[in-house]
Amino acid sequence: MSTATVQGTPGLSPVPPEPPPATPNYLNNSSGIWSWLTTVDHKRIGILYLISITVFFLAGGVAAGIVRLNLLSPEGAIVNEDTYNRSFTAHGVLMLFFFLIPSIPAVLGNFLIPMMIGAKDLAFPKLNLASWYVFMIGAVFGVWAILAGGIDTGWTLYPPYSTRASQTNVVPGVIGVFITGFSSIMTGLNIMVTIHKMRAPGMTWGRLPLFVWSLYATSLIQLLGTPVIAITLTLIGVERVAGVGIFDPELGGDPLLFQHLFWFYSHPAVYIMIVPGMGVISEVVTCFSRKNIFGYHAVAWSSMGIAVVGFLLWAHHMFVAGISYYSALLFSFLSMLVAVPSAIKVFNWTGTLYRGSITFQAPMLFALGFLVLFVIGGLTGLFLATLGTDIHLHDTYFVVAHFHFVMVGGMVMGYFAGLHFWWPKMTGRMYSDWWSRVAAAIIIVGFFFTFVPQFILGYHGMPRRYPNYPAEFQVYNVMSTAGASILGIGYLLPAFYLTLSLFFGEKASANPWSATGLEWVSPSPPPPFNFDEEHMPVVVAGPYEYALGIDQLGRGLPESPGTVDDPSSRAGGHTGPAGPMQKETEVVG
Amino acid sequence: MNSLPPLIPVAASTLAYDFEAIFWYVTAICSIGGLLVYAGLLYFCIVYRRGRTTGSTPRILGSARLELAWTVIPTIIFFSFFGWGAVVYTKAVHPPPDAMEIFIIGKQWMWKAQYPNGQRIIIGGNPRNMTEAERNSIGKLVLPVNRPVKLTMISEDVIHSFGVPAFRIKMDVLPGRYTNQWHHPVRVGEYHIYCDQYCGTWHSLMVGKVAVIGEQEFDDWLNGLGNQHGGSHAVDGSLAQEGQQLFLKLQCIKCHSANNQAAAPVLENLFGSRIPLKGGGAEIVDAEYIRQSILKPRARVAQGWEPIMPSYEGQVSEADLNALVAYIRSLHKGGTPDRTEQFPKPVGAPTERSLGEKKE
Repeated sequence: MSTATVQGTPGLSPVPPEPPPATPNYLNNSSGIWSWLTTVDHKRIGILYLISITVFFLAGGVAAGIVRLNLLSPEGAIVNEDTYNRSFTAHGVLMLFFFLIPSIPAVLGNFLIPMMIGAKDLAFPKLNLASWYVFMIGAVFGVWAILAGGIDTGWTLYPPYSTRASQTNVVPGVIGVFITGFSSIMTGLNIMVTIHKMRAPGMTWGRLPLFVWSLYATSLIQLLGTPVIAITLTLIGVERVAGVGIFDPELGGDPLLFQHLFWFYSHPAVYIMIVPGMGVISEVVTCFSRKNIFGYHAVAWSSMGIAVVGFLLWAHHMFVAGISYYSALLFSFLSMLVAVPSAIKVFNWTGTLYRGSITFQAPMLFALGFLVLFVIGGLTGLFLATLGTDIHLHDTYFVVAHFHFVMVGGMVMGYFAGLHFWWPKMTGRMYSDWWSRVAAAIIIVGFFFTFVPQFILGYHGMPRRYPNYPAEFQVYNVMSTAGASILGIGYLLPAFYLTLSLFFGEKASANPWSATGLEWVSPSPPPPFNFDEEHMPVVVAGPYEYALGIDQLGRGLPESPGTVDDPSSRAGGHTGPAGPMQKETEVVG
Repeated sequence: MNSLPPLIPVAASTLAYDFEAIFWYVTAICSIGGLLVYAGLLYFCIVYRRGRTTGSTPRILGSARLELAWTVIPTIIFFSFFGWGAVVYTKAVHPPPDAMEIFIIGKQWMWKAQYPNGQRIIIGGNPRNMTEAERNSIGKLVLPVNRPVKLTMISEDVIHSFGVPAFRIKMDVLPGRYTNQWHHPVRVGEYHIYCDQYCGTWHSLMVGKVAVIGEQEFDDWLNGLGNQHGGSHAVDGSLAQEGQQLFLKLQCIKCHSANNQAAAPVLENLFGSRIPLKGGGAEIVDAEYIRQSILKPRARVAQGWEPIMPSYEGQVSEADLNALVAYIRSLHKGGTPDRTEQFPKPVGAPTERSLGEKKE
């Protein structure tokens, strides 16, 4: 360990006084349902998305409940095969297209990107509102398809089953997903332009919070990938309705063509789902360990690396689908490359904790849960990228468990971490500290019980999408269902305490976590245009100067929650976080 | 509820052992890597928790050397996974040239297997729509132990996937295009076959068994002898099938029918059994006994039957007798053809049965 040159440290800056509550704030500056339905305020649109996707999350959760309950018995405990097939399809479609893809980008991204970069709104506020309407129109088709009998193809919609054999509502479902795709493109475009053009003075690319970097990478995927799924779904509809042979070999088509097109979007789409979660973790881990992020550039560029390399490995979903030997080798090789940036991120987050001062409020518990679960999710992905192991594990519960470890253990934990982190900012209220920690603990425990047995099932060969199964698999299925019921309780708890906080919660200060980002400068909840229009922010510091104790405006940070040392021992501001201080930059390793 | 299955599922082919080796290699490396990260997380969370630390932290921005290390080392490890995995995959997708080829047809929701000599089997199907007897006679994919076999697969409708966990491989079965996989079974036993690609309502019932049997047993089975595992009884072109034609042509079926009023015993499952004789004593049915019963039928008559059978001496050649013996040897329960009053039609002519099958 050595010491290096002193960073250009801002002079002593006092902790700013608590800003007065915004009058009006974005929630109460107009009222009535119409004011919400016609709003162009990015924060209100974020809330519209939040309410919408919460409904879909619950609906998708109910479908998952049917699936798991049915698997209690080898014969299928509660529903027949057709109902089961419709349930797992509904679960997949709702969770992926109507919850995970919009979750962090459209809720937290919408709300926070302008605030984090010091802008009054997104670049195209009306486009932003339009994206929500487009999303809801697509959702209407999707819900119609599911309620009017359902779809039984699985979310992957493989033809010729989906175009020839399925007797269910494939076309409305496909139209629904097609339409929501445009909403995703609009949000991605909006966020990307905003980040390029609307950063506050001094907010250089090297000072962007990592959440902004991660959403920039996500937007890139959304812009480039989503049109491909749009044309693919259109072709499915054309073949199904008009009988034009595109994928069905009986009509002269090629079923593998669909799989190539589908995964060309849907593999990058899993990075649309996970990369924003990684952004949240960078924010939360730094704040609750009071440390600069370890390796800012490595973390930022690894997001971009994932976004770019993520486009080059779609065919690893097809190793046993009948692709050529040489393309299997190529795509296995490329799949190894994408594991590297994810590993880099995990090491850097762990390094951030080193010599920190860590507290364990709910956002941090969710973030640590993310780290623990994402490590397993990522490592088990290597089994599926490796050809010699994928030939057995493909299409088994091993894949199901891996995918859920990344998507639920990773992204949903990241979403909950972000929701708990920014909830005081969004609503102006604090939620129950104790209940939120309990919920985080229950979710992590329930998650392990649900999905670890599924790895064993998959290793033993139990195929996915089976409503009934050989009796020897029952033990693990019962364990998994038991875990899922714990997980279900864990997910219901936040619905209660977060709702209660709106009415009974303590009023939140502007910066309750003592965080450094620009979004914490404004009062909670923020005024309609985010910042005091007379004093738009001018950025002078990088995003995570917790060690120096200054935010991005160079102002001192308030006392962080969970501080237990004696403030008198920090007289002069040289030892504590409350006062800005001269501090040398240490170099490790 | 059933007890826990074994930790490591049964491995029944050479590839299964290749899979286990690389699977446990990847598992070991990933476990070490994951546990190191967990150890770091746990250690930091305990040692650097607020309370043991004040809110004051050092300003550490990162380390180029560490970044380089934890970029390069994982990359090298991941490429070792790739390399070994590619070796296993290369072996898995290239059948040896001497492998016997079996055709597999997938359709909603059953498998059909066709062997080079005409033996064929239907595997799976929805057992809920079957009688108990039908359930018991569901076919199995019969494979010889210690001999490579190549499966050439195609689908009649949607995409299926043919997977045998005990062999640690699966491959999609596509409409309009052949795919294949090959196995070198090394362990006698019965193992699951699953359809691994979602194919509709009864996807989960498109399952069956593969039966790995001894090499000699397998050769007998190909010729319709021994335990049938749901296969055809007399394979087209085999000696037994020739014997079946004679059995019909010589009107043996008239008396040896599976009919309650039959004038002579039904010959199913007869070969190798011990039968009591009229007038005392017993005989084990072997080729010699059958030959003699055709040529000198009244010499040793089974108990409970009248000596009414005419002698066929001079009417059948030694070659015909061999064929008849092979046929009776292959006759299993339910295998006696329906009795017809007419002279049997030529080989290959449509029968009422086959016409009925086509109508379905």
